[in-house]
Amino acid sequence: MTIVNYDPRLVKTKNPYPKGPNDWKRFFSFNTDAKVIGIQYIVTALFFLLIGGLLGMLIRGELITPPSDLFDPTVYNGLYTMHGTIMLFLFLFPILSGLTNLLVPPMIGAPDMAFPKLNALAFWLVPVFSIILLLSFFVPGGPASSGWWSYPPISIQNPLGKVLNGEMLWIIAISLSGISSIIGAVNFVTTIIRMRAPGMGFFKMPIFIWTVLAAQLLQLLGLPALTGGAIMLFFDLTFGTSFFRVEGGGDPVLFQHFFWFYSHPAVYVMVLPVFGIFSELFPVYSRKPLFGYKFVAVASFGITILSLVVWVHHMFYTGTPMWMRNLFMFTTMLIAVPTGVKVFAWIATLWGGNIRLSTPMLFCLGGLFNFIFGGITGVMLATVPVDIHVGNTYFVVAHFHYIIFNTIAFGIFAAIYHWFPKFTGKMFYEGLGKVHFALTFIGATLNWLPLHWAGLLGMPRRVASYDPEFAIWNVLASIGAFILGVASIPFILNMVSSWVRGKSAPPNPWKAIGLEWLLPSPPPHENFEEDIPTVLNEPYCYGLDKPFVEDEQFYIEKSLKKI
Amino acid sequence: MLTENQNLSLNHKPGHVKHDGHNMTGFIIFLCSESIIFFAFFVGYSVLKISAPVWYPAGINGIDIKMPLINTVILVSSSFVIYFAEKYLHKKNLWGFRIIWFITMIMGSYFVYGQYVEWSELTFSLQSGAFGGMFYLLTGFHGLHVITGILLMGLMLFRSFIPDNYKGGEMGVESVSLFWHFVDVIWIILFGLIYLWQ
Amino acid sequence: MTTKIKRLKKKKFSNTFIIIFAVVLNIVISLLMGHWSYSWLPIQASEAAHYVDNLFAFETSIGTFIFLGCTGTMAWILVFNRAPKYDESNGEPLEGNLKLEIIWTIVPLILVLAISTYSTRVNYKLENLGSKIKYDFGAEVPFVEEKKVFDYGPIDVISRQWNWEFVYPNGIRSSELHLPINKRSNFRLITEDVIHSFYVPAFRLKQDIIPGSVITYSLTPTKEGVFRLRDAMFSGAYFSQNQTNVIVESENVFNKWIKETVKKEPQNGLNPAGRLYEKRLKNGNRGWATVKPAPDPKVNEVGSEVRTHDS
Repeated sequence: MTIVNYDPRLVKTKNPYPKGPNDWKRFFSFNTDAKVIGIQYIVTALFFLLIGGLLGMLIRGELITPPSDLFDPTVYNGLYTMHGTIMLFLFLFPILSGLTNLLVPPMIGAPDMAFPKLNALAFWLVPVFSIILLLSFFVPGGPASSGWWSYPPISIQNPLGKVLNGEMLWIIAISLSGISSIIGAVNFVTTIIRMRAPGMGFFKMPIFIWTVLAAQLLQLLGLPALTGGAIMLFFDLTFGTSFFRVEGGGDPVLFQHFFWFYSHPAVYVMVLPVFGIFSELFPVYSRKPLFGYKFVAVASFGITILSLVVWVHHMFYTGTPMWMRNLFMFTTMLIAVPTGVKVFAWIATLWGGNIRLSTPMLFCLGGLFNFIFGGITGVMLATVPVDIHVGNTYFVVAHFHYIIFNTIAFGIFAAIYHWFPKFTGKMFYEGLGKVHFALTFIGATLNWLPLHWAGLLGMPRRVASYDPEFAIWNVLASIGAFILGVASIPFILNMVSSWVRGKSAPPNPWKAIGLEWLLPSPPPHENFEEDIPTVLNEPYCYGLDKPFVEDEQFYIEKSLKKI
Repeated sequence: MLTENQNLSLNHKPGHVKHDGHNMTGFIIFLCSESIIFFAFFVGYSVLKISAPVWYPAGINGIDIKMPLINTVILVSSSFVIYFAEKYLHKKNLWGFRIIWFITMIMGSYFVYGQYVEWSELTFSLQSGAFGGMFYLLTGFHGLHVITGILLMGLMLFRSFIPDNYKGGEMGVESVSLFWHFVDVIWIILFGLIYLWQ
Repeated sequence: MTTKIKRLKKKKFSNTFIIIFAVVLNIVISLLMGHWSYSWLPIQASEAAHYVDNLFAFETSIGTFIFLGCTGTMAWILVFNRAPKYDESNGEPLEGNLKLEIIWTIVPLILVLAISTYSTRVNYKLENLGSKIKYDFGAEVPFVEEKKVFDYGPIDVISRQWNWEFVYPNGIRSSELHLPINKRSNFRLITEDVIHSFYVPAFRLKQDIIPGSVITYSLTPTKEGVFRLRDAMFSGAYFSQNQTNVIVESENVFNKWIKETVKKEPQNGLNPAGRLYEKRLKNGNRGWATVKPAPDPKVNEVGSEVRTHDS
């Protein structure tokens, strides 16, 4: 532990950020405060959620009728490619980076991230690659339209033969996003390893910190493989090399290995912090300790390790030999074990609790409900014979939207509501939050539940038109998508109006245990400043009568500004 | 920092978590991650070589190993040289450090020069099938790292003339040296893959 | 606290009863769901369909049991453990239970082992995939000898952006795939441009076709009828048009079809993408860039674009 005693030199340095904490301009500057960066990330990402959602609704608009009548199929392909890319690289990754930035330093009692400048750089790359990606709508030939997998040879066909094309901008944007994520990952891992408060051993860290560590290590191990693949794809597209081009002896399946070696773990990079959010919120709103804290913590790393050896399950029907299919089926299914440990632990946490159905808790419960469903269809997809039938159909689309939206985005919404008072200093409107939840849950279920049946009947994904027998499922899904679109209205209303004129939030509105709740709302620039608490017990000691930190009362009163 | 609330007696002394001093940790994490890009390329090279129906471009049966071997010897020995430079710095022998550090830079530059000569004598190009692409990608990407290493060494050399530069530790020199070892290890694997495994 | 425990003890008997009832109910519903799951899938038209559907039903049953078990518990909690308004007291401070943790690690592990053993056995039974041989793309497709047993074939399945062509051993070409029933037919899967996927939902089988490789593949149709063959790997602009029919016929009808088709002159086969592209050009070539569709294949059997399919 690198704790030094009271060091006047460090404390007496002037706040390097001369503008006061309530200056809105800081959100538009190269600010190095993790809390500012966190909000920058989240707001940017939510903006792209709107854009990605709009594209999603256009897709559902096209698919509400069997023939391809709304757009030319080329336009449809571009739209769905950009929908996937924007949702993953411009919404989910940035928003999770944002939550991580907001939460990690206060939760471990650090004043800021280990490398604040790199942190700001990682954020400012987001608008840069976002603009590059969006500009690709306006280049001749349109944006990338080979799906977010960008499998060669389809992605390197380059119909117009121009050097500047949508696919090229797509690869550049994705590579910049990768650089941003790697910088972020180095930063998060270093911060968590080196900057924890005194007394906070690994088994006293909040689960969110565990899951962030597991997710970011995964990012560091997996992302470079995709970067390598993207560099080679870029060379194939632009310089005429033959890494994946069959004409010169390349192998298109090699790209699939590079791609999925990262992109399957990428799902865990996104879902692990959400598991962390669930583990943080269930104890708070059921007023109970987290059931089996150590098991839940270690399970995160079980998922990390296993997820590095499952990628071939995306390639069961590419000509993969039998032994390999059976092996990867088994490793994939093994992930159900640590994941099950978590799910059962959450349910056991709820059991016998004093449940408060506030907005964050509703999103958590909804997310858990959907995750159990998505997890089960995940195991189905892992079994080779079933996957050979439903792979690349709408069953897969439904499954991963159940994970990526119905679980991950639900968790993100829960986190936004839960920590909104802490970081804005304002309370949100509970009523609007509940309306948002109801619309989101109904819309999401209606959107993705019916699509499972379309997939089971054999409707391939990524089609612009389809046989009429699939119409009923698609009509339901489209209605669901439009409801989801409507659901964004109460959310935006709630966030904007609460932040502008909401009630002031107390330091600990949910009576939660955790270092961040010992800080005033919003926390000062350097969190605990010169007075870092010493952690005594693991978090989540609800009803156990164990103090969380030394001199707890002192910090509580300090956060209330009584001291 | 005393509390107005007289009932509260504090058990703890206020403390502060250090802001800096994590550069080395961060750098090591970064290098581990960076090595995976190379690893991906190596795997790609091996997979393509094993499975390709035709590997070398028409008219080529293999590549000359003599010149790259000399290059390898120089690069690998520079890794030992840089170690001694670091030792001198530990002993506060600044001029000894600068001279040996500079020798490392020259050895690195010679490697880049050798690479350039080799490239200019080759009869195949980046577009010559999977092998051509892989060859230039691997050696080029590694070469970029060597050049980055040399530039970083130059920066460290320049900074060594700033008075009191090493008051806060030798983190920069240590990191660059670590980076140089990393570049070296990568080259050994690369050399084995491209030149020895023909 | 003590009164609470006493009350709990009294309730213990009725609790056990409720739990047993819930578990039995769950098992019944799960079995029904497994049974019902067959109706979510298309007609079973190949020897694989039976195995896949049984496996899927098995997984649906287990999945339903787990899903209802978990969500039922959650529902129970939500009904009976809600905090009254303004009550901010803590719940029972249970920190964990080693026995439970071990149980819910071991039980899923066993389940997962069971499912993967089951499906590994199915894999070995089906063995549709033969060999995958790389060849110099652009050169002639090499002949690959299938080592596995088959009754009929090999039929060359040629996929393009965006049409299908089937070449029979006697050289006739067709836009639709005619197969004899209950015969193990063998295919050589070939693509002329990008990755496509040979997917017949009624057969429950799918195999990607990789450029630069010849893949041999065998399957046995078990039901007469017309089934959709869909390209399942995204292949560009008119991907969704890259579909055709598989027509499974009795051996007599199939042999008759072969004999009659040999006599037919080659003519332009099915190519809906080509028609759409012509329409696009006529309308001013609006939309984003695409490669040109492959020209109409020259086939002996043209087939029909409007044939109704059974699934």
